[in-house]
Amino acid sequence: MTSSTLVGDLAFGLGGIHAWAMATAAVIAASCALVGTLLVVRRMSLVGDAISHAVLPGIAVAVLAGGRPGGPLVFLGAVAAAMLTVWLTQGLRAAGGLTEDAGAGVVFTTLFAIGVVLVGLAPPGTHLDAACVLYGELAFLPFDTISIAGQPVPRAFVAGATVLAGLVAAAVATWKLQVFTAFDPAGARMAGIPVVGVTTGLLAATAVATVASFDAVGAVLVVAMLVAPAAAAELLTRRLHRMVVVAMALGAVAACVGYLAAWRLHTSAAGMIAVVLGLEYAAAAALAPDDGLAARLIGRVRLAWRVAREDRLATVWRAEEAGNRAAARPQTPHEAVVVRWLEFTGHLLRDGSSWRLSPAGRREAENVVRSHRLWEAWLGRHADLPLDHLHPPAEWVEHHLGAEMRERLEADMDERAADPHGREIPPEA
Amino acid sequence: MTAAAGILAHNTVVVALGVAAVGFAAGVVGSLCVLRKRALAGDAAAHATLVGVAGAFLTTGRRDLATLLAGALVAACAGLGMLVLVRRFTRTRDDAATALVIGVSFGLGITLVSGLPAWGYANSAGLEQFLLGHTAALTARDAWLLGAVAAVAVAAVAAILKEATLVAFDAAFAAATGWPVSGIDYAIVGLVALMVVAGLPAVGAVLVTALVVIPPVAARFWTDRVGTMVVLSGLIGLAAAAVGVAASAARPGLATGPLVVIAAAGAFAVSFLCAPHRGWIARRAEAARGLTVRRGDDEGEAGR
Repeated sequence: MTSSTLVGDLAFGLGGIHAWAMATAAVIAASCALVGTLLVVRRMSLVGDAISHAVLPGIAVAVLAGGRPGGPLVFLGAVAAAMLTVWLTQGLRAAGGLTEDAGAGVVFTTLFAIGVVLVGLAPPGTHLDAACVLYGELAFLPFDTISIAGQPVPRAFVAGATVLAGLVAAAVATWKLQVFTAFDPAGARMAGIPVVGVTTGLLAATAVATVASFDAVGAVLVVAMLVAPAAAAELLTRRLHRMVVVAMALGAVAACVGYLAAWRLHTSAAGMIAVVLGLEYAAAAALAPDDGLAARLIGRVRLAWRVAREDRLATVWRAEEAGNRAAARPQTPHEAVVVRWLEFTGHLLRDGSSWRLSPAGRREAENVVRSHRLWEAWLGRHADLPLDHLHPPAEWVEHHLGAEMRERLEADMDERAADPHGREIPPEA
Repeated sequence: MTAAAGILAHNTVVVALGVAAVGFAAGVVGSLCVLRKRALAGDAAAHATLVGVAGAFLTTGRRDLATLLAGALVAACAGLGMLVLVRRFTRTRDDAATALVIGVSFGLGITLVSGLPAWGYANSAGLEQFLLGHTAALTARDAWLLGAVAAVAVAAVAAILKEATLVAFDAAFAAATGWPVSGIDYAIVGLVALMVVAGLPAVGAVLVTALVVIPPVAARFWTDRVGTMVVLSGLIGLAAAAVGVAASAARPGLATGPLVVIAAAGAFAVSFLCAPHRGWIARRAEAARGLTVRRGDDEGEAGR
């Protein structure tokens, strides 16, 4: 036994098989995420879905014609089937007046059905069966190896890594064209960019990524690998190049985690990868920094709390202005909580059975009341509203005017220091 | 002789009739969906059904069709509900949201179905038939159940046809005159989910969308009248289902679903090519005539 085969055998030991399977799944998922990002931003997710189904007859014909799964003939057949799908869908729209989704619904289901029948007709031992079409067989892929530099390397990993390298190279080379076409197709056409060619290239890349994934995860689950990482990445960042990198990382992580979870639970790796991708998306939707559900909820709660604080301080200020401290007493349990908090932070001082403003509380309250009355004055002057319609909008706007805006409003006032109700507008604190 | 006897066996005939009834109802329901331009509304529901089938089996331990399809219906509605939530609460666009629900829910379904044998359910085999459809496993009782669901769906369409037509052709007018547009939309999508579930045993989760898309799209080529289109679409669905079931009875190795879809696609191809007025051949002929006439006009002008 030479040393190189010994290393190979060790690599194929207990962890080796899983490592290779995870590596294969990861490169495949990264390829799909790369292509899927462009599909998602171009609103072509369902085209990706259609292509991932429709490549099946192309693969089946190529295999029946003697092609090896993962070989060049199969890739050619799949790209041809993808082009046929798009051409038929567009042809049905142009010649038959079908909407795009109806046309796609006819074409990809029909092609997939033909593909399943062809697979059923394939003689046994051609490495194609219905289960493989639907689930893939990731767990078995590491056993089909080729020798690279004396080491056995799974054929599927080599194919997947080659596809990933090719797609990354193509994406880097055509990045500006893709971005321009994605976000401003009309402008791109005007600038002389071959928009049809760029789109065709993207569709061909989708077909190639789909075929590379086919043996591992089957036809139907590819759509999860195309769309889910990109949709999650889109929630996490707004820059396209970051979105691609994040999507590829999410895809690769889901591939590894999904594979291990499936191995522990004795179930389909492809299905579990799709589930993990779904969980990643759910996590992104919940926790995205800017507009995740949690961030939006926290933002709303903080706004509501700030409004409640400021309203309370302003109420106490107005009560002091009117010389009637009792009017500042909290009326509801919610207001009572706010008062306790303001007392704790030193904005309100307890004074027997009522409260008065501390210097810090007074500063804040004066700015709120100032915002309110400036806004009423400005509305009364410019919006031609009756007097009793001025208060409600000011009640909202008072929480959103900064010092700069107050200054501008005051400059517009020709030095009248009173609001339309005749009350004094306090100076900037 | 034996093959003929096999095809004509009582059970096969009843199953074929039940599946044909589902084909009819799916064509009828699909017409509303296609006219409303929501052709792929059912696809997310269809891919989610597998979770329901596996879930119903896991929770009840029963494998009769009614239990499994009830689970599938719950899952289909849950899938559509997820779609609504994603659209409502995230900035993910509609197409990506649909593809997401399709991929992830199908993945969960595959995970559950594949895991059953390892989790100690020896007799779980058979749930895979819901992937691509397998009518050989159906009994006459199952066929009656499918027929009943189909009858309910057709009756529901008959009840809301006028309102649904109004919403499909002029939603803004319908809303302005006080019709509950979103309620009617929910009813249409709910009926599609029902037909997707009913089509599951015969056509399978992956392809059952075709049952609600292809027949109405084919029927549209023959007529401009909604009533005619609905009935014609139903008949195309019925014929496709019957042909598919018969073909799979003749070749037991093949799954039924793809054969039904290919039969429907054949009807579509004929409609697309041969229908009067809207068909491709008729249009080409008309265009050629139009060109001739116009050319004659030009010559007339030139001669003047």
